Amino acid sequence: MNTSARTPLRELKMVDIVKRFPGVLANDGVNFDVRAGEVHALLGENGAGKSTLMRQLYGLYKPDSGQIIIDGQPRVFQSPADAIHAGVGMIHQHFMLVSSLTVAENVALGLASTRGPRLDLDRVAERIRGLAERYGLKVDPSAVVWQLSVGEQQRVEILKALYRGASLLVLDEPTAVLTPQEAQELFVTLRQMADDGHALIFISHKLHEVLALSHRVTVLRDGRLVGTYPTAEMTRADLARLMVGREVLLQYDRPPAQPGETRLQIDGLWAIGDRGVDAVRDFSLTVRAGEVVGLAGVSGNGQRELAEVLTGLRQPSRGKVTLNGRDVTHASPAERIAAGQCAIPEERMRTGVIKDFSVLENAILCDHSHRPFSRNTVLNFGEIAAHTRRLIADYAVKTPTAETPIKNLSGGNIQKLILARELCRKPTVIIAAQPTRGVDIGASEYIHHRLLEQRAAGTATLLISEDLDEIRALSDRIAVIFEGRLMGVVDAATATAESLGLMMAGTRQTE
Amino acid sequence: MSELFTLPVLLGILYSGIRLATPYLYAAIGETFAQRSGVYNLGVEGIMLMGAYTAFYVASISGDLWLGLGAAAGVGAMLGLLMAFVSVTLRAEQGISGIGLHLFGLGLSTLLFKTTLGGVTSISGFQPVRIPFLADIPLLGDALFNHNLLVYVAFLLVPVANWVINDTTLGLKIRAVGQNPAAADSLGVSVGKIRYLTVTVGGVFAGIAGASLSIALINLFQENMTNGQGFIAVALVYFGGWRPWGVLGGAMLFSLVNALQLWIQVAGIELESDIAVMLPYLLTIVALAVAVRRAQQPAALSKPFERGEA
Amino acid sequence: MNTFSTRIRWAAAAALLLAACAPAAAPTSAPVPTAEPQIIEVTRVVAGTPEVQVITATPPPAAPAETFRVAIVMPSSTTDMAFSQSMYEGLLAVQREMGGEGAMEIAYSEGMFSVPDAAAALRDYASQGYDLVIAHGSQYGTSLAQLAPEFPETSFAWGTALDTFQAQGVTNVFAYQAEAQQGGYVLGTIAALMSESGVIGISGPVEAGDAKLYVDGFKFGAESAKAGTKVNVSYTGSFSDVSLMAAAAETHVAAGADMLTGSSQSVVGAIGVAKDQGAYWFGTQWEQTFLAPEAVVASQVYDWTGIIKDMIASHQAGVLGGKSYTLTFKNGGLVIA
Repeated sequence: MNTSARTPLRELKMVDIVKRFPGVLANDGVNFDVRAGEVHALLGENGAGKSTLMRQLYGLYKPDSGQIIIDGQPRVFQSPADAIHAGVGMIHQHFMLVSSLTVAENVALGLASTRGPRLDLDRVAERIRGLAERYGLKVDPSAVVWQLSVGEQQRVEILKALYRGASLLVLDEPTAVLTPQEAQELFVTLRQMADDGHALIFISHKLHEVLALSHRVTVLRDGRLVGTYPTAEMTRADLARLMVGREVLLQYDRPPAQPGETRLQIDGLWAIGDRGVDAVRDFSLTVRAGEVVGLAGVSGNGQRELAEVLTGLRQPSRGKVTLNGRDVTHASPAERIAAGQCAIPEERMRTGVIKDFSVLENAILCDHSHRPFSRNTVLNFGEIAAHTRRLIADYAVKTPTAETPIKNLSGGNIQKLILARELCRKPTVIIAAQPTRGVDIGASEYIHHRLLEQRAAGTATLLISEDLDEIRALSDRIAVIFEGRLMGVVDAATATAESLGLMMAGTRQTE
Repeated sequence: MSELFTLPVLLGILYSGIRLATPYLYAAIGETFAQRSGVYNLGVEGIMLMGAYTAFYVASISGDLWLGLGAAAGVGAMLGLLMAFVSVTLRAEQGISGIGLHLFGLGLSTLLFKTTLGGVTSISGFQPVRIPFLADIPLLGDALFNHNLLVYVAFLLVPVANWVINDTTLGLKIRAVGQNPAAADSLGVSVGKIRYLTVTVGGVFAGIAGASLSIALINLFQENMTNGQGFIAVALVYFGGWRPWGVLGGAMLFSLVNALQLWIQVAGIELESDIAVMLPYLLTIVALAVAVRRAQQPAALSKPFERGEA
Repeated sequence: MNTFSTRIRWAAAAALLLAACAPAAAPTSAPVPTAEPQIIEVTRVVAGTPEVQVITATPPPAAPAETFRVAIVMPSSTTDMAFSQSMYEGLLAVQREMGGEGAMEIAYSEGMFSVPDAAAALRDYASQGYDLVIAHGSQYGTSLAQLAPEFPETSFAWGTALDTFQAQGVTNVFAYQAEAQQGGYVLGTIAALMSESGVIGISGPVEAGDAKLYVDGFKFGAESAKAGTKVNVSYTGSFSDVSLMAAAAETHVAAGADMLTGSSQSVVGAIGVAKDQGAYWFGTQWEQTFLAPEAVVASQVYDWTGIIKDMIASHQAGVLGGKSYTLTFKNGGLVIA
C-alpha cells in the first residue's frame, strides 16, 4: 500500500492561477512550472503570494481560476490527500508534526499499515532508516518529536514526504530556523534529491541561498509573476531589484564605530524561562554609546527571555543590569523608559501594540500621561493627532488614516510605527529584538537606516536577531548566544559565517 | 475498625466497587476516545440518561434485553452524532453545547418516562453469569467472576480501547488529530471524520453506560437516575490522564472508596455520614493533586479545527 | 402466591400492631405534642401571641363560587413513589372530593432540585394569582420567607417544617410536617419481629428532615421490639442517587440484613436489590408495594388530604397562614399500607 511505487511526476505546471481573498488579490494570473531533477526557487517578499500559490498546489486552497497540470494531465486537488496522492509533498515553515508522537508515528500517520488495522511501526522505522541513509537525514525513528532539535524536526518533515513517495517537494523557507551549518547540510540533501530525479520548489527571500541552490528562479511581487530566470544568469542585485521593484542597497555604508562610554552593562545574568528551567545562564555583555552589538543565535536559545529581562517584562533570578550607570536589574518597564531605554519588541502584535487600537492611540501608548499629550489625565487629542501625523510622515508609515485600527496595517508598517514611537523619545539605549522579522525588504531597509542613524547619533544599540545577514549588516561587534550562555563576542568586520555558525551550534569562541 | 478489615467485608467492597465502576467505565472510555481526538463532550450525562431510558423502555415492551441494549447504543450513537455535528461541523463552543446536550437528554428522558411509563417499574435485567473455573477460585472468584455480562464487557473494554488508541492506524490518527489537527490534515487525515467517529463512539458507550444502570445493575428507570455520573466520568478521563488504564484506575479508586464508605457506615464506625459520603470525592481530589500529569492532555482539546488557520 | 399471602399476612400484622403499639409507642418514639384527642393540631399565632386552637373536624371546603387555584413546587417528580408523589396524590384526592377541575385547579412544577429555580417558580405562581402556593421542600424555606410578604393575598404552604415565619411578621404561610418517626417506629417493630438474621439495614438520603425522623424511629422501634436486634444505618448523601442507594442496600444485605428500609425517591434502586437478594423492604412516604410485591412488606404512606383541605378552608375563611400542621397516625395523616 505504500505509494512510492507510483511513477514519479516529470513536470508540473500551474497556469494562469488566480486566487482572491476578501479585499486582496493574492495571485493574479500566475504561471509557474517545475521539472524533475531541478531546484526551482520561488522568490518574493512577504505578501507577494508565494505561500498562497503553494497552498493551492498542495490542495489547501482551491484556485478561483487557472489549472494545475501534471505531465500533461489537468488535476484538481480537493485536499492535501489528493496532492499527496499525486506525488506532491510540502515542508511547511511551521512544522506539521505532532510533537507528542514519535518520528515513526509521525511518518506513518494517515498511511495504511501492512498489518491491516495494526500499526507496523517497526517496518516503518526500517524504511525511514533506509531513506535517511540515502539522503543524509540522520534521525532516530523511535525518538519523540518534541525532544528533537529544530533541524532534526525538519528532517522528519522531509522524511514524511519522501516516505509518501513524493516526487515534488515544496520547501517553505526551510532555512529560517537553521544555523548556517544546518542550512549547508540541508542543501546537500536537497541537491542529492534533485540528482535522484525529484522536483524541488524552494521558497525563500534569502538571495544568497537562492543563488547557491537553485537552477531556476521565479520572482513574484504583489501577487503577480515578475518572471522566471535561469539562476546562473542572475546576480543578487538583480534578484533584489526584481523582488522589491526598485534598486535596493544590500550593503550599508557606515563609518567605523566610535564607541563611547558604557551605556548598558549585563553582569552574570540568570533567568528562568516559561518551562521552569534556566533560559539565560550567566550572561554578561556590554554595549557602549555609538555602537551596535548584534546578538546572534538560533531561535529558542534564550534571546527572547534575555530581551524580556532587559525590558522589565521578566524578573532575572541572579545577576545585575546597569543602564547609564543605574542599577535597573529589577526596574519596571516604565523606570527603564525613564532612564533612557527604548525597546522594539520581538512579538510586535503581542507586546508592541494593542491591535484593536487605532494607529493614533498606539502612537502615544507610552507617553499618553505626559504633557503635551495630556494634562491632569485628560487627553489632548489635537496635540496627539498632530504628533501622530508627524510620525506617520517621518517614518513613511502606510496607513489609510490615523484612526485605522493598527491590526489592519502590514507588519512592516506596524514596525515602522513602533520604531517611530520609540525613537522620537531620543533614547540613549535601544533594545531591538527581531526588528525586521516578517517585514518586507523595503521596510527592513528603512528600519535598518533608522537604526544606523541612531548609532551615528551616539545611541547604544543591542540588536537581537536570528537573521545572520541582518546582524552582519548592522553590527560592530557580534555576540553569540547558545542555550542561554554567551559563546563569545567577535568583531563584525572579521567574523566569518562559518565561525559564527559554529558558535551558534554551541562551540565556544576559541582565542 | 477491625470489623471492616475482615475478608468477607473486603471482598464485599471489591464486589460492590466493580459494580459501581461499570457505568463509569463505559462512559469514561467513550469520552477518552472523544477527548483524545480533541472533542470535549460534556453531554455524556444526557446521553447516559437517554440510553438508560431507551434500554429500559425497549427491553420492557419487547421483553428482549439485547434489543434494549442495542436501542440504547443506537440512541447514544445518534446523540453522539448530534454532538459531533454541533462541535465539529458548526464549531460551537464545546463546553456549552455539552451542557445543552445534557439538559436535552435530561428533559427528553424525563418527558418520555412520564408519557410512556408513567412511574417507576422494574424489570428483570441481565443476570449474573458465573464464569466456569474462574468463579471457583477461592476467595476472589465470587467477587470478580460472578457478575452480569455488561460488567465483564466494561472491564474488557479497557485493554481493547488501549490497543485501539496505541497500536492501530486509527488510534494514531485519533491521537494526531487531538494533538495537532493541522498536521494530521496536511497528511490527508480527515480531522472531521475522525472526530465524528470518536464522538459517535463515545455516544454509543455513554448510551450503553446508561443501559448498564437500567437493565443490568439497578433494573429500573427513574428520571435523572444517573445523578451526575456522566460528569464524574468526564472527570475520570482527566484523572486517568487520557489513558484507558488510568481511567480504569480512577473509576476503581472512586468506586471502591464509595463502597468502602458505605461499609464504614453500615459497620457502625463512628464517622459523620456527611463526611463518609464525601470520601470518594476527597480521595479523588487528593489523588489528582498528588499525581499531576498534564503531559498527555490532547493539545487541541476543545478547539474546533478550521483548515488554513495557522 | 406464597409471597402474596406473606404480604397479606404482614399487612394484617401491621394493622394489628398499629392498633396495639401505636398508643404506647407514640409517647416514647419522639417528642410529639400529643395530649388530647384531636384531628388536627393547629398552632395559630395572632399578633405574636401563640394560641392553640382545636378543630375537631375538617369539613370539605365550601363549594366555592369560583375555581380554587393551587400551585405546588416540588423537588422530585409526581411519580417518585415518595415525598413528592404523596403530596401530589393528596392534591388530586382533594380535587376529586371538591368536584374536579372546575372546582379546584392544580398547577405543578416538579424536579426543582435547584432552589433558585424553585424560588422563581414560586414567584411565578404567586404573581399569577394562585390562591395557595405550596413550597414542598424544606430547602425552599428561605426563599419563601422573602417571597410571602410581597403577595399578601396569597396563601403559601411550606413543608416539611414547623416554622410559619410569624417571628418575622409573616402571616400568610402555613407549615406542615410528618411525624415520620411514628411510622418508622411501627415498621421497625414489625421488621425486628420478622427478621431471622436479627440484622436490619436502613439507608437514608441525607441525615436531616423527615428522613432522619423516619430512620431514627425505625431504629428505635426495631431495637425496642426485640432485644439484640442489630440495626445498621447508612446515608448516601443524596436524595436522587439511585445507584448509590442500591449499593447501600447491597452492602446492608452483605452485612447480614434481611430487613431493609430507606427513605427518599432514590430508594427504588434499593427495593430492586431487596427483591433480587430475597430481603424484605419497608417503605415510607408513599405506597411502594407494586414495585416489588413479593419484597415490600408494608409502607408508611403520607396522607396530606386533611391538611390540604384545612388550608383551603382556612384560606376561604380569610385566614391566609400562620398554622402549623403535623401528620400523625392519630390524625389519619399517616397510614400504614
